[in-house]
Amino acid sequence: MPIFQDNRKLVSRVRGLRTCFVLIFLVLFAKLWYIAVLKADHYRQLAKQNQVRIIPMLAPRGLLFDRGGQVLVDNVESSNLVLFRDKANDLEKVFEFLRGLNVPEEYLQERLHAARTRPKYQALTIKENLSLEEISYVLAHQNEHPELTIVEEPRRLYRYGQLAAHALGYIGEISEKQLKQADFADYRQGDIIGKYGVERTYDRNLAGTDGQRRLLVNSIGRTIEELHSVDAIHGNPQTLTLDLDLQLIAETELGETPGAVVAFDPVHGDVFVMSSHPAFDPNMFATRINRTDWAKLSSDPNHPLQNRVIQAQFSPGSTFKVIMAIAGLESGVIDPNDTVYCRGGANFYGHYFHCHKEQGHGTVNLSDAIRQSCNVYFYTLGQKLGIDNIERYSKLLGLGQVSGIDLAGEALGLVPSEAWKRKTTGQKWYAGETISVAIGQGATTVTPIQLARAIGIIATGHGAPLHLIKDQKLFRGPAMAVAASESDQLLRLENLQAVRNGMWRVVNEYGTGRSALVQGFEVCGKTGTAQTIGNAAKAKLSKEEAAKHPDNALFVGFAPRDNPEIVVCVIVQGGRSGGGVAAPIAGKIFQKYFDKKYGRPQGPEKITGPLQVASHAAELPPSAPPQGQPGIRQ
Amino acid sequence: MSVTRILSRFDLLLFAGSMALAFLGILGVYSASLQSPASSAFSRQLIWTALGLFICFIVFSIDYHHLVDYAFHLYVLSIGLLVGILLFGKTINGSKSWLTIGGQNFQPSEVVKVIVILALTRYLSNLSEDYLKRQHFIALVVIAMIPVCLVVLQGDLGTALMYFPILGGMMLIGGLKFRFVAAVMALGLAMAPAGWLVLEDYQKQRILVTFDPDLDPKGYGYQTRQSQIAIGSGGLLGTGLGNGLQSQLGFVPEIHTDFIFALLAEETGLLGACLVLMLYLFVLSRMIRIGEQARDRSGILIITGIASLIFFHVVINVGMALGITPAIGIPLPLLSYGGSSALSTYAALGLALNVHYHRFVY
Repeated sequence: MPIFQDNRKLVSRVRGLRTCFVLIFLVLFAKLWYIAVLKADHYRQLAKQNQVRIIPMLAPRGLLFDRGGQVLVDNVESSNLVLFRDKANDLEKVFEFLRGLNVPEEYLQERLHAARTRPKYQALTIKENLSLEEISYVLAHQNEHPELTIVEEPRRLYRYGQLAAHALGYIGEISEKQLKQADFADYRQGDIIGKYGVERTYDRNLAGTDGQRRLLVNSIGRTIEELHSVDAIHGNPQTLTLDLDLQLIAETELGETPGAVVAFDPVHGDVFVMSSHPAFDPNMFATRINRTDWAKLSSDPNHPLQNRVIQAQFSPGSTFKVIMAIAGLESGVIDPNDTVYCRGGANFYGHYFHCHKEQGHGTVNLSDAIRQSCNVYFYTLGQKLGIDNIERYSKLLGLGQVSGIDLAGEALGLVPSEAWKRKTTGQKWYAGETISVAIGQGATTVTPIQLARAIGIIATGHGAPLHLIKDQKLFRGPAMAVAASESDQLLRLENLQAVRNGMWRVVNEYGTGRSALVQGFEVCGKTGTAQTIGNAAKAKLSKEEAAKHPDNALFVGFAPRDNPEIVVCVIVQGGRSGGGVAAPIAGKIFQKYFDKKYGRPQGPEKITGPLQVASHAAELPPSAPPQGQPGIRQ
Repeated sequence: MSVTRILSRFDLLLFAGSMALAFLGILGVYSASLQSPASSAFSRQLIWTALGLFICFIVFSIDYHHLVDYAFHLYVLSIGLLVGILLFGKTINGSKSWLTIGGQNFQPSEVVKVIVILALTRYLSNLSEDYLKRQHFIALVVIAMIPVCLVVLQGDLGTALMYFPILGGMMLIGGLKFRFVAAVMALGLAMAPAGWLVLEDYQKQRILVTFDPDLDPKGYGYQTRQSQIAIGSGGLLGTGLGNGLQSQLGFVPEIHTDFIFALLAEETGLLGACLVLMLYLFVLSRMIRIGEQARDRSGILIITGIASLIFFHVVINVGMALGITPAIGIPLPLLSYGGSSALSTYAALGLALNVHYHRFVY
């Protein structure tokens, strides 16, 4: 190849090529100018006519069934009003129109503010569950307000209203705080998620996948063409361990009184009943709850939003005596046949401690003491054990730690000890305090579920993992309490039998819990009547004042005595008498369980008060089980 | 050789201009990927860009004279490849022109264009006459038409069409007498009615709606019309990335490949669209400049082929978006999503930088 070539001809032609390029590019620029500048208004007009509407298709969440396949949580179609902000030219007119639907302007402003980061062409739900009148009102004005559309969306229906509200939970729009968390990275503003209870824990299992429809609409909002749609995928139905029949009894029996009932299978950990009163109606949350209702619920002094079963911390009262009994036997400080003489009270460390029976119980051994709930016996036992032994066995039975049930927000309760007191108050432990602790007063607090679980351990010798979801492969809960496995190895059968024997006598031998008796079902239990304020504090109050702090009534028990199938724990706040108020409720639950198991005829349950089946459900045919009936498999 | 020496011989401006376009392309593909149909396109585009730069570097680092020396070898290999694909290739969108490598679909006909440029260069650079003789003309046409026929047989008319500007541009520079040009034009005009008969109905439609989009606003005119609406409604500064209603709502089809210009025009406005066109003009004139300064005929000819190729891609694609050329599905070099186009463009860029680098004799 020559080192130098005469390229001049080629170079001049290449220059010609450049001229050619520039000229043709000028044509492109000219046409661009024509479209984007000269005819910009024309094309903007055309763009407006290209009205696409993206209608979200909310995926129905999975239904929730009770263990017998009865629908607890359903979905119903709801007519919702949505606003397309990109089509709303005059918000003032929209506000005015919506006043006719009782949508206050402030609420609308709030919704608009919350959605400010979402693309304007996405639908924004303004009002849910429109009535027929409201629907016709909107349709009549459709021509004036093309920016508003009614869409059909599934709405969660909690068929029994307040029934098991705390266990089932509720749903709601994802909060701005949640959106920032990594766990919710795949969620978008406006998405509906489970916020409480099972709805929250198993949100990922229950939620389906939302779809959307893209519609080409004309200038008055009529659909011209469906562009393309992605169908919503239904969420998976789930079966819970709850038993509707037992739950109904708990709800009815608790009635308006604050309290909690929990029942479960101590072998497998299936939770049959979880009732906390006062409750709330999760249907209120199924439509975007309005603020006044929310404020009313969250500021209510009775804390209806609190799940008392796992969050309320009560003094265990005399129910604690069975834990004391285990501690005494296991640590070897007593023998079941050791006796104590009760003369109605006794002196410990310079103070006189009363028994609840003024004339005294006489000579009592362990099972007598449990049966009659003799304080003097347990004072004596407490003195022998010392606080740190009590602490050790309380914790072994699961107190002072979460039970590990598949719900968020469990409270820990409190098991006092010398170290605890030093740490929290800086003072040393007084031996006299141990005497109060020994009968379940003092600093000790438990949640109903902890107490029930401790009874479960006594009943079976091991702590089953508590759960509300039937399919254990899905189980999602906090790390299991360690005590369960420890107690498996530590608790000796003869000691457990001794305590169970005492608990059997509580119910079956005219003990304090005889109202829980079920013929043929060998119920064992323990009552408790726990003070809600200390003796010293009570002494300072007038009689009327003191009457405002009535004792809590408790009952814990299991049945049958051998091979137990069900543990029940009932707390009635201010119920005054464990044996008189709490034990009968437990008795009804035991009875129902027994009747169901042996196929006894069951009368229809009377549902009263707030527990009436949700009004919508009443008008609807019973919901058809989903395809394949995955919820009903047992 | 020192780094400064290398840099002083490296056309940084051409490279920077191309990278600016690639960056705009990545922005556009990102915006398009906000909509689900193209959701994985963004990350793939990044990979293709990286791979393209690597190819660019490889092509740049081999003295183009060696490439021209082996042009016929490469050409024969390419023809073999095209035949192989015709027999065993994968069919996507009606074109049996795809090869699957590691799960990625790849269209070799894109890259063969660059090799045809080299082959034509090889043939033309050995001629000493100022004007092409008839046998030269025929030889050049044969060199270009063999791959064109194969690509047409594969069913990819758009890509086949892009071989013509290469051939035309290089023949013009190589010295095409006016009577040849006249003859070709006359022949073209004469063939047009015949060609019209050969075209499929949908192809005829596409050509017709170019002149009147309203002829079929929901069919073939639809794309053009929607793209014009996108460009026209963007305003001066655009709606912002990801906010273009036309682009994001799926009115404009193939938004991340064939109509990325419409997306950029809607979302970055008239300014963005002008910037894109200016950058192309800048890149093209840098290339022409490299041609002017090239050391030999082969350098000039390579540049001619590359510049013609890129120029026609831009004009046809942008013209389609603006509604002045028929809707032929060809990508916008450096901007459109797509691997094959990216690789051939980056290879071409590497060649241009290569010619610039070796412009002096040492």
